[in-house]
Amino acid sequence: MFVTRHIPTDHQDLIHDVSYDFHGRRMATCSTDQTVQIWDLQDNGEWKCTASWKSHSGSVWRVTWAHPEFGQVIATCSFDRTVSVWEECVGDTGRDGVQSNWIRKTSHVDSRTSIMDVKFAPKHLGLLLATCSADGIVRIYEAPDVMNLSQWSLQHEIMCKISCSCISWNASRMHAPMIAVGSDDPSPSAGGKCQIYEFNSANRKWNKVESLSVVTDPVHDVAFAPNLGRSHHLLAIASKDLKIISLTPYG
Amino acid sequence: MAEREKVYCQTIYDPACTAGLQSTWGFGNQLFVFPGRKPTLYPENQLHCRRLQEIREVRWDIDLYHPVMRKLVNESHNIFVMLQKHAAEKAVGGSIHPLILKSSRQYIAVLIAYSDELKKLADATIDEDKKENYLDLLRLLKMSELIWSLCEILFLDSPAGGLVITQLLDWIRIHFTDEETILQILQEDRPDSHQFYWDSVYRLVLQGQIDHARRLLSKHTAAYSDNFQSIDDLLKRMPIFSQMSRGHSVAEFDMKWRHWQDDAQRRLEEQEFASNKQLRTICRILAGEEAVFTELQDICGTWYHMLVSKMLYQHPTVKAIDLQYYVQSCLDVYRNSQQRLGELDNILLVALEFDIHQVIKESSSMFSNWWFVAHLTDLLQHCGQLEAHKLQYGSNLREFLLLDYASSLMSNKSLWVVGVSYLDHCPEFGRHYLENFIENMPIETERKAQKLLNICKERNMTEQARSICKVVGMRHLNNKRLGAALTWFLRSKDVAFATVIAEKFLLEYSESGSFTNLDLIDNLGPSMLLSNRLTFLGKYREFHKLYEDGDFFAAGSLLLSLLDSRLAPKEFWLTLLKDAIPLLEARELIFSSSDTYQLMHCLEELTKEFDVMKQKDGKRRSFSEHEKEKLDLLKLGLTRNLSRAIVTEGSIKLS
Repeated sequence: MFVTRHIPTDHQDLIHDVSYDFHGRRMATCSTDQTVQIWDLQDNGEWKCTASWKSHSGSVWRVTWAHPEFGQVIATCSFDRTVSVWEECVGDTGRDGVQSNWIRKTSHVDSRTSIMDVKFAPKHLGLLLATCSADGIVRIYEAPDVMNLSQWSLQHEIMCKISCSCISWNASRMHAPMIAVGSDDPSPSAGGKCQIYEFNSANRKWNKVESLSVVTDPVHDVAFAPNLGRSHHLLAIASKDLKIISLTPYG
Repeated sequence: MAEREKVYCQTIYDPACTAGLQSTWGFGNQLFVFPGRKPTLYPENQLHCRRLQEIREVRWDIDLYHPVMRKLVNESHNIFVMLQKHAAEKAVGGSIHPLILKSSRQYIAVLIAYSDELKKLADATIDEDKKENYLDLLRLLKMSELIWSLCEILFLDSPAGGLVITQLLDWIRIHFTDEETILQILQEDRPDSHQFYWDSVYRLVLQGQIDHARRLLSKHTAAYSDNFQSIDDLLKRMPIFSQMSRGHSVAEFDMKWRHWQDDAQRRLEEQEFASNKQLRTICRILAGEEAVFTELQDICGTWYHMLVSKMLYQHPTVKAIDLQYYVQSCLDVYRNSQQRLGELDNILLVALEFDIHQVIKESSSMFSNWWFVAHLTDLLQHCGQLEAHKLQYGSNLREFLLLDYASSLMSNKSLWVVGVSYLDHCPEFGRHYLENFIENMPIETERKAQKLLNICKERNMTEQARSICKVVGMRHLNNKRLGAALTWFLRSKDVAFATVIAEKFLLEYSESGSFTNLDLIDNLGPSMLLSNRLTFLGKYREFHKLYEDGDFFAAGSLLLSLLDSRLAPKEFWLTLLKDAIPLLEARELIFSSSDTYQLMHCLEELTKEFDVMKQKDGKRRSFSEHEKEKLDLLKLGLTRNLSRAIVTEGSIKLS
């Protein structure tokens, strides 16, 4: 029933994240060996590595793709406390056979600790990037001019007061911007390990709307399900066990 | 359902996985599995394992992507769509029952057609793996057909008086006839010497294929002996209940049957066939003797074959709803043998118990794709067999399964169009699913983009269409195909990007002195109004054309209006003013005195601005030597033109 296939990477150490692009035709991998690799699905169905470069001076924890409306753009975060945004630049010689160039457009150095996760916002919110760091700060950056990926401004800093490990945007277009933040704090007394924040457009602030007290074990990953016409949101939380949480908006 | 669901297992061996195992969802039924850990679980000081890392791509439930199955998907789609169309039309009164039955038969025909094709392919190939693959698929189709046919008899077809024996016999015949052996036997010189002669005769009798049985018996060397003639006589006179004989009521048939069977029993009791064991066995079958069926269990092969055979000779007027009461004795016969009840048996059992929901549940977990349950449930829903059964997680069972089936098609590069059509028939969630899917569809080619856009247009999905255009435009922009990019941004009415590209065109022009993508710029039409910069680009190009055509007056006034309306960006004024020089120097007077004043005014404004900028930061560029030269020339031209204009305007025109 299962068909498996090997894709040998030349990462020299553990891979921490594998991420598909929006269309499932490209993937990005990142590793403790400080490199990022980009893979393209060939017409014959094989994955081919089209770029590989040293991107950080520490383990690269996560890699994530921006919506293709913004071009071919990825963001990476690392133990070296930085978040980088990369854009693919195609050489004048054309695409075929040419290794593509990924150029660092910006590097955010606001964090004083390792950055654990990075995620682009759903595209209807614009070009926004959320990061979370080990010292419990969620930062939201915005590129006001989507043509200029070098200019980002730090829009919000949310103090979560608990070490953060992962973050997820709610993609629903019908609701206010929402993010879920997971924490890997091992102490059970530290309270709920998953917090939900919602953006209040009236006072332009992110407010904590929920702290899920049912989640007491360290959280490794969180993910919102795409909203397919449901009136409630679905959030998956990976911890010692897996929890699927249904969030029903007020009103 | 959970405890009944089959768990598939695939083991991955890799020493690196001791450090942890992660996975990422792919596109459709696809996972990436790789050794490693989330950073939270990864201590930085851990000993690094210096070895090459491997990612495993895991896919499953992809049997529908097989070329033969793809054809099946397409053909069944046609049947599906046709039924939905007719169902919608007939919804206002009128029975759609015949239509449902027709569709069901068509689905079965498709299953049979592709079973045959798979069998041919399997026979033709020498590649063992491929053969195995074909045979796997073949088993799948055979099983689908077996269950489907039974469901059709029980749930969809409503035979006269609820009698089902005729249909059940057809069902058994299709799946258990061994025509090849019969042909072989008939080709023998002495058919009765064939080792399977009697087995075949028994099987034909058990399946109610009386004519074939008689034919085979007539080939026996002793066919003209008395006891053969006696059996033949019995077989010939066996009453057959058929829906066609409307004149006869069930009671009438029942009476005839009893009469006939009494005759068979009498002959048996009178030891008419004592000398011939085989003929006696046949007569025992005809008499409906319980023990003989157990003796012939190997010929029946399965409990459901036995059930039908027994019904034929013991309860020919059995109603569909009563079949379940006779199942157990048949199951018991086979319980002793090594055969265990498989998933298929379970599904047939619950079908016989008329537990439709259980049939769907069990089939969902048995089949590795949603084809079977989605289509069958659709039929049952139309039939009204599924009472409005509300699910916690969605609308109704039909839509729930159709959504799953459609979703499984969306990740295939040739089946996704079919998936779209199925989503169209999911009234509650179909649109939401489609909106999500359509935006995620890979856009490999312009043709695909066009196809996607048409789908969006037909369904009025403007937001998605805009996104597709933007993605394609962006790709062209990155590949430096500005013209193509602009075309797509115009379609998505993207002001920001249209402006960016217009600026790039203008920059190109000021660097090289000529335009690329002339075709596009010349044919902008009203779409140039999307952005000011684009309008300027279009108008400026128009100016060039007018100039080239020698229409200096029109060119001049257009140039002036571009400057005057401030449509032209400041950094382009210099270029425009330079363009004015040849017009100023033209033989005819093109600019009137007031026009000339305006041009002078613009020049003044520009020079002033440059001075201001120069003062602000010294680094900003000032006019180059070449530009200064040009400006001097311009000033000269302006003054000369002004004097000409004043003189001309002051003169009295002689008519």
